[in-house]
Amino acid sequence: MKDVLILSIESSCDETSIAIVKNGCDVVALSILSQMDTHANYGGVVPEIASRMHTENITIVLEDVLNKANMKVSDVDAIAVTAEPGLLGSLLVGVEFAKVLSYVYKKPLIKVNHLIGHIYANKLENKLTFPNLSLIISGGHTELIKMTGDYEFELLGETQDDAIGEAFDKVARVLGLKYPGGPNIEKLAFEGENTYNLPKVLNDESYNFSYSGLKSSVINLVHNETQRGNTINKANLACSFQTAAVNELKRKLELALKNTGIKDVIIAGGVSANKFLRNELTDLCAKYNAKLNYPSFIYCTDNAAMIGAAAYPLYLKGEFANLDLNANSNANIC
Amino acid sequence: MHLFIDTHLDEITYILYENNSIVKKVVEKGREHSKILMPLLKEVLNDKKPKSIIVVNGPGAFTSVRLGVTIAKSLAYTMDIPIRVISSLECIALSVNDEDKIVGFSDNNGYYIGIFNQELELIGEYKYISNKEFEVYNAKYKVITNVELDYLKIIEFCLKKSPINPHKVNPIYVKKLDVEK
Repeated sequence: MKDVLILSIESSCDETSIAIVKNGCDVVALSILSQMDTHANYGGVVPEIASRMHTENITIVLEDVLNKANMKVSDVDAIAVTAEPGLLGSLLVGVEFAKVLSYVYKKPLIKVNHLIGHIYANKLENKLTFPNLSLIISGGHTELIKMTGDYEFELLGETQDDAIGEAFDKVARVLGLKYPGGPNIEKLAFEGENTYNLPKVLNDESYNFSYSGLKSSVINLVHNETQRGNTINKANLACSFQTAAVNELKRKLELALKNTGIKDVIIAGGVSANKFLRNELTDLCAKYNAKLNYPSFIYCTDNAAMIGAAAYPLYLKGEFANLDLNANSNANIC
Repeated sequence: MHLFIDTHLDEITYILYENNSIVKKVVEKGREHSKILMPLLKEVLNDKKPKSIIVVNGPGAFTSVRLGVTIAKSLAYTMDIPIRVISSLECIALSVNDEDKIVGFSDNNGYYIGIFNQELELIGEYKYISNKEFEVYNAKYKVITNVELDYLKIIEFCLKKSPINPHKVNPIYVKKLDVEK
C-alpha cells in the first residue's frame, strides 16, 4: 500500500506544533514552539496571549517543519488539526490555518480530538493493542476509557470535579511553586516523605475520580498551619499530596484490571510524564501481568505528531471535514 | 486581481480589486466567523489565485481580527504572494476628507481612537477609551465616527505601500488585557 503522509497541526493550549507523520506511526518531522516561558510570568496560561502567540508563530512553525522534513505541503496526502477540546481562541488559530492549507493545496482536512491524540501518541513508538485501558490524565482531564479497537471507546469513569493536573497546579500555587506546577511538585516531592495524612480522594467502588476534596484539604492544611504560626514541610506535603493523588488513580485502575482482565494499559496526557506515577502504575500493572504503555516525554506533552497518529485511521475511513469546520472547547472522547 | 480582507468587527468583508476597480465585494454578518470565513473566501476567489493580499490588521474585536489576519498571512505565505496591512483606523481616516482628523469607532464597550495629520500619518498612538471617557473626549475634540469606508481609495493606497514578510504580519490589539494592566 502507498505511504500516507499527514501534516498535522496542534494549537489547543500553549504549544504551537506542526508535524508530518507517515502511516500514522512514523514521525517524519516535528516542530514544537512552546509559550511556557511567557505564561510563567503570569503564573498560568493566559488564553488571549496564547491565541496571539499562535497567530504570530504558526507560519514560522510550518516553515520549520517543512525544512526539517525537506518537503513541501504539496507532498502530503492530508491536513489534520486539533479542533477539540482546548482553549477556544487557541484552537481557532490552528483550525483556520489548517483550512487555508487544505484549500490552497486541495488536500482533505481531518478533524482530530486532542484527547484521542494523547492516546494515539502511544502509536508513535509502539503498537496500540486492543482491548486496552486508557487513562487520560492532564490539566483538563481525568478519564478511564476502555478501547476495543481503533476509535472504539467506552468511558468507564471520569473526574467528578477537578482534573488531576489541575489539582497539581493549584496545590503548587499554594505551596508557592512556579508555573508549571505539576513538574515542580514532582521535583519537590522527590526530596520529601509521605508524612501528612490526607483524605482518600473518592472512596467508592466506581471508576470515577474526584480531586477537589484532596486539593482543598491541602490548601486548608497550609492555611491553618500558617495561621497557627507553624511551618510546613513543603517537600513532605508535596510528596504526601502526590502519593494520595496517584493512589487514587491506582485504586481505580486496579479495580478495572481486576474486573475486565485487560492486559494492556495506556497512560496519556501531560500528567503521564510524572515519573513517580509511571513507576507506581508499572508496579501495579506487573501485579496483574499487564503492560503499562506510555510515550516518551516529548510525545506526552502537547505535540502535533500525536494528532497525525490519531488522524490516520480517519484518513483510511475517509472521514473528512469541510471548510466550515469549527473549534469546540468542550468535547469528550465518548 | 488583489484580495482585500477585513474582519475587524462582526462583519466579514472580502473585496476583489482588478484593473483600477472593485470587481467583487461580499459582506457577511455572523457570529461564528470561523465557520463562515473559509467557505466564503473559496466562493469569492472561485479558484483564482490573487496577485496580492491586503488585510485590515485591527484594532477591533480580538478573535475576529486574529482569524482574518491568520487566514491572510497563511494564504500569502503558502501562495507565495505579497501581503500588505492597513489598520482599521487608517481605513477610516482615508475615507474622510478633512485635513487633520481624529477618527474612531465603537465596539460597544468603548472607542478605538486615532489622530492623523493631512499626510495620513498617525500622531501619537492608537488608544482605546471607555464609553464614559469618550463622552468627555468627544466634547473636547470632535471625533469623526460612523464613516462609510471608501474601499477603492483604501485598496489603491495600500497597493502603493511595500509588502511585508508574511511571518511578520500580526494583529494590533491596542486594548489592554487585564493581566497587562
